[in-house]
Amino acid sequence: MRPPAPRPRPPGIAAWLVSLFGSADQAESILGDLEEEVSDMATKSAAVSARRWYWRQSLRTIAHLAGTGVRNAPWPLAGIVLVGFLLQWFSAGLPGRVIVAILRTQRPYSNLHYGFYISFLDYGIPITGAIQSILLGCLVAAFARQREMIATTALSFLGTASIGLLFLDTSGHGSRFAYSWPFVIIELMNQLAIVLGGVIVREIRLALRNRLSRT
Amino acid sequence: MSNRDYLGEFEHIVLLAVLRLDDQAYGVTVRREIEVRTKREVSIGAIYATLDRLEAKGYVQSRAGDPTPERGGRSKRFFRVTAEGVSAINRTHRAIRSLAAGLDLLGSRL
Repeated sequence: MRPPAPRPRPPGIAAWLVSLFGSADQAESILGDLEEEVSDMATKSAAVSARRWYWRQSLRTIAHLAGTGVRNAPWPLAGIVLVGFLLQWFSAGLPGRVIVAILRTQRPYSNLHYGFYISFLDYGIPITGAIQSILLGCLVAAFARQREMIATTALSFLGTASIGLLFLDTSGHGSRFAYSWPFVIIELMNQLAIVLGGVIVREIRLALRNRLSRT
Repeated sequence: MSNRDYLGEFEHIVLLAVLRLDDQAYGVTVRREIEVRTKREVSIGAIYATLDRLEAKGYVQSRAGDPTPERGGRSKRFFRVTAEGVSAINRTHRAIRSLAAGLDLLGSRL
């Protein structure tokens, strides 16, 4: 007699995304339901179609969880996102100022490590910008309580839309302040870094909650 | 909840499915019941979003079941309709019946 086929594993990334957007209790029951359905489905159809079904259900579930999160507290969420956007807007030049201030203390133009300092200028500003965006994401997520991912994703979309508008506005008129493609790509990476900040806060909160529930 | 509060279309469907399933109503069974009876694909997320809203209104109550291996060790969340939920269903049915009374719906060619 052949041994029973192993139970199919649900797609880990899809399950992780659902757990990021729902509350811990919601995630427990929703992920349990999805796993029960997908293992039942895998006995009747191909594992590939069961995984595809899982992904489709997960994405639709995330959309519903995000929608419910916004509907339950629209004004506090809008306030947090707006404050985050203003912070992002007014601190946009900070990484450049920090890097230049560091370079000035080292007198880069008067020693032999000129190439190193130029690299520091080229890479230091985007890296500092990414760190600044992660910290901003963490700050916004910390105030958004159970809606870390909704707040940081909304802030990221708002930032992306403003970059798109600025890019179109400046490139359309041949302005000498026109934004270059590398600048746009770096700014888009910064928007992703904001979401990463939300993920970090969310994961820390989930880990703390799990530790508390075990003790 | 006000006795003028009527159920939305999907709230109505979900409440009726939970009522039909009696003590076996949880995400999977509610989703399947709705799909079989309405021929409409619904997501687990839509069901939980609606059930959470109905619970906040006091129309359903939930309790956690035991963890099972086929669910990856996660527990089920069972739902049951409260007396307020049954009243809301009746109120909504009465309103629909009253609005439909006298209309020649079967003979309509629209």
